[in-house]
Amino acid sequence: MDTFAALMHGFAVAITPYNLMWSLIGVTLGTAIGVLPGIGPALTVALLLPVTYGLEPTSAFIMFAGIYYGAMYGGSTTSILLNTPGESASIVTALDGHAMARKGRGAQALATAAIGSFVAGTIATIALTFVAPLMVKLALLFGPAEYFALMVLALTTVTAVLGASLSRGLASLLFGLALGLVGIDLQTGQARFSLGIPELLDGIDVVIVAVGLFAVGETLFTVSRHRFETEELYDLKGSKWMSKEDWSRSWKPWLRGTLLGFPIGALPAGGSEIPTFLSYLTEKRLSKNPEEFGHGAIEAVAGPEAANNASAAGVLAPLLALGLPTSATAAIMLAAFQQYGLQPGPLLFDNNPELVWGLIASLYIGNVMLLMLNLPLAGVWVKLLAIPRPWLFSGILLFATMGAYTLNNNIVDVAILWIIGIIGFGMRVFNVPVAPCIVGLILGPLAEQQFRRALTISQGDATIFVTHPISLALLLVAALLVLLPTFFRWKSLRDERAQASLDATHSTKAENV
Amino acid sequence: MYKSARLRVGETVVGLFTLGIGMFLAIDTWRTPPSAAVAVVGPGMFPTLIAIGMGIVGLQLLWEGYLHRFAEEDIPDLDWRAVGIVAAALASQIFLLEPLGWIICGTVVFTVAAMAFGSRRHVLNVVFGLLLTSVTYLVFDYGLDLDLPTGSLIEDVIAPTE
Repeated sequence: MDTFAALMHGFAVAITPYNLMWSLIGVTLGTAIGVLPGIGPALTVALLLPVTYGLEPTSAFIMFAGIYYGAMYGGSTTSILLNTPGESASIVTALDGHAMARKGRGAQALATAAIGSFVAGTIATIALTFVAPLMVKLALLFGPAEYFALMVLALTTVTAVLGASLSRGLASLLFGLALGLVGIDLQTGQARFSLGIPELLDGIDVVIVAVGLFAVGETLFTVSRHRFETEELYDLKGSKWMSKEDWSRSWKPWLRGTLLGFPIGALPAGGSEIPTFLSYLTEKRLSKNPEEFGHGAIEAVAGPEAANNASAAGVLAPLLALGLPTSATAAIMLAAFQQYGLQPGPLLFDNNPELVWGLIASLYIGNVMLLMLNLPLAGVWVKLLAIPRPWLFSGILLFATMGAYTLNNNIVDVAILWIIGIIGFGMRVFNVPVAPCIVGLILGPLAEQQFRRALTISQGDATIFVTHPISLALLLVAALLVLLPTFFRWKSLRDERAQASLDATHSTKAENV
Repeated sequence: MYKSARLRVGETVVGLFTLGIGMFLAIDTWRTPPSAAVAVVGPGMFPTLIAIGMGIVGLQLLWEGYLHRFAEEDIPDLDWRAVGIVAAALASQIFLLEPLGWIICGTVVFTVAAMAFGSRRHVLNVVFGLLLTSVTYLVFDYGLDLDLPTGSLIEDVIAPTE
C-alpha cells in the first residue's frame, strides 16, 4: 500500500493548476514538435529542453513527461500520413499505416494509433508505478561491480540490436564513449582530451551531441537527398471514426502490444524497436488474413503503436530506479536530470519523492490529455505536416543552434554542434546507427566511475566482476548478445557458400550433359 | 558474390575514422604524465580500453570493406552543393552569432538554408526568418530568462535592456 500512498501524494502534486498547466503545455508542444517530419521523440525532447530551464525541478519534469509522451503520439501521425518515418520505432507503423492512408483510411489509422497509445500508455504507466519501487529494492542489492556489469549490458543491447552491421554499431558506441572521456577526470582532477580549450573541461554535453546528430546531421542528410526524393502526404478524408469492425480488430493487438512493449522497454534491451517488430510479427501470425499485412491491416498499426508507447513507459523504470538510460530519448532525459543536479536512482526516490511521484502521476494525466488532444484535433496536427520543407528544416537548424547556445551561453558549444552535425551527416550517409553513440556518451562516464569504484573496493583485483554472481550473469548475457548473432551470421554465410559450391557443381554437370 | 578490387567506401571511411580517433586517444593517453593523485585505477585505464576497442573495430571495418561482406548499396546519391551551403551557413554562426546577435545571424542562416532546400522566395524567407528569430528572442530572453546573443542593431531597439 506504500506505493499507492506515494502515488496519491504524486497526484496531489501533479493536479495543482500550476503543474497541470505545465503538463498541458508539455503534451501540446511534444505533439506539435513530434509531428514535424524529421523530428523523432529524442530530438523533440532535446530541442524542448531549454524551455524547461526556467522552471523549478518538479514542474520542469512534469512538463518533460508530457513532452516525452506527446512526442511519441506525434511521431505516429508523421509515420502514418507521410512515407518518411521519423525514427526507427515508427518504421513498422509506417508500413501499414501509410498503406491505410493511401486507401483513404488515414483517420482510422490515426484513431487506432491514438487510442492504442492511450490504452498501452495507461496500462504501462500502472505497471511502471509498481515495477519502479521493486527495481529500487533490487538496486539496493547492487554494488559498483553489479552496476558496471548492468551498464555494460545496456550498452551492448543498444549496440547489438540496432542496425545491420555490428561493427558499425560498435564504432558508434566507441565514438560516444570517447566523447564521454573529454573533460576533467572527477577522481584525480586530471584533464583528459580537452585540447587546451577551457570550455571542454566540463565535458561534452549529451544534449549538444543529440541535437547535432539528430537535428543538424539529419537536416544535412535531408538537403543532400532533397532533389532525389518525393514525399507522399495523404490528407484525412471520409469518416473520422473507427467502425465496429475496426474496434474488434484493434483491441486485442493493443493489449498484446502492451504486453510485449512494457517488459522489453523495462529491461535494458534497447528501447522500442524490438517490441514493435515483435508485435508486428505476432499480429501477422495470429491474423486470419495475413495477406493483408503490408497493404493496410489495422492490426499492424494498432499492435506496434501500443508496443511503442508501452515500451516508452517501460524505459522510464530503469531510468528512474537505476539511473540507467536504455534509449537515446532516455539518455537525454537523464541529461535533463543532471542539469538540475539530480541523479536518478534509489536516492532520488528517498530524497525527492514529490518529484518522482509527481512525474509518474503526471504520466497518467498526460495520457488522458493526449487522447483528448489527438482524437478531435487530428486535423490540426495534420496541417503541421504541410509546412514547406525549406521553412521546416531552416527552422530546425535555428532551434538546434538556440538549444546549443543557451545550454551554457558559450559559442564553443555552437562549434561542437557543427562538428558533431557533420559527423552525424556522415553516420547517416554510411548507415551508422546514432543511438549507441548517445547512450555511450552518457553511460560511459557513469560506467567508468563504477568500474573504478569496484576496483578500489577490491583493491585492484579485477576478478570482482566475475566472482559476484549478479555481475557475472549480467556480463554473460552481454557477451551472448554479441557472440550469438555473429555466430549465426557466420553459420548462414558458411551454408550459403556450401550451397553456392553445390550449385556450381550442378551447373557444370548440366553443361557436360 | 560480386567483388571488385576497390574498397567499399562506407566501411573504409567509418573504419579509418574509428582508427584515427582510437590512435588519438592512445597517443594522448600515453603522452600524459602519470597523475600524482593516488588511485587504484588511474585516469588512463578507461581511455586505453576504448582506444584498443576502436583499433579492433576500425580494422574489422576495413576488413569488411575489403571483403564486400554486405550486399546492400554502398552510399546513396548526394547533392553535395546543398550540403556545402547549409554547412557553411551553420559554420558562419560560430563567428557571427555573438558580434551580430541572434536575430540577424539567425535570419541569415534561415534564409540561406531555405535557399539550399530549393526555395526561391528569398524576400518572404527573410521576412519569415526575422519574425521567427524576433519571437524566439522575446520569448526566450524575457519569458524564460535565457540569454540569446544580443546584437546592437536590432535587439536593443525592439527590446531595450532595462
